[in-house]
Amino acid sequence: MIGENERWILSFYRTSEISGSLFFGRLAKSLKPGSIQHDMTKHYADEAMHAWYWTDCLNKLGVEPLELGNAYQDQYLSAAGMPVNIMEILAITQVFERRVINQYAVHSRAAGVHALVKKTIDRIVEDEKWHIKWIRDALKGMEAEYGKNTIDGTIERFLQADREVYEKTVREHEERVRELLRT
Amino acid sequence: MNSAVRAKAKRVRQALGRSLGRDGMELDDNMVLTDLVAESFALIETVINLQEELKIRLVQDDLRGVNTVGDLLSVCAKRL
Repeated sequence: MIGENERWILSFYRTSEISGSLFFGRLAKSLKPGSIQHDMTKHYADEAMHAWYWTDCLNKLGVEPLELGNAYQDQYLSAAGMPVNIMEILAITQVFERRVINQYAVHSRAAGVHALVKKTIDRIVEDEKWHIKWIRDALKGMEAEYGKNTIDGTIERFLQADREVYEKTVREHEERVRELLRT
Repeated sequence: MNSAVRAKAKRVRQALGRSLGRDGMELDDNMVLTDLVAESFALIETVINLQEELKIRLVQDDLRGVNTVGDLLSVCAKRL
């Protein structure tokens, strides 16, 4: 069994993975054939599997996932504006994936983390490393079309938004994440 | 409106209709986009769909002040 705070956090991860999967799945359907369509299709399938890993993990720990409202990344739109082209979508995703890896690393290092939770995080992080790599390569390939400065500026804009969203999320859920951040 | 401009406008309208799952020719220019799509991510999807189908690229500045179907059609037609 796990406590209510950890149940909430794992459910939060699950909701975020589901939102990511649904979003990338819809985009993968729209994109024309090519390497971005290929990699985005795997990306969306990975996110769906991650949602399944968290669902299964919660169940094995003896609890049901909590039904939560908005996912973390939903807040990016109000903080940074809507991404309007595929480059901006990849830039915002790159920023989000870095946040995910950092958050999972913090959670994995926290004292008293259940072995099953740690195993689930390790499994997901392996995929996340590839997500960051394929997006970095795709953004590099877009430099001729958009310009390196524009791409770097877009990533910076979303990094700023991510910092705002992260701080706001931690403030709003301080009670729940306090143990995690204390380690 | 000459025939080339009319053809371009029709092409954009049909593409938007397909993205929204509606008949593009029946979309009123005054319809507000956020009334047509259920949530923000659906709007992003629509904008990406349009760019993929029309083979155009939009940037932040293009969409500044875009609220209605007519606004979006006009921005896309300029990029064609």
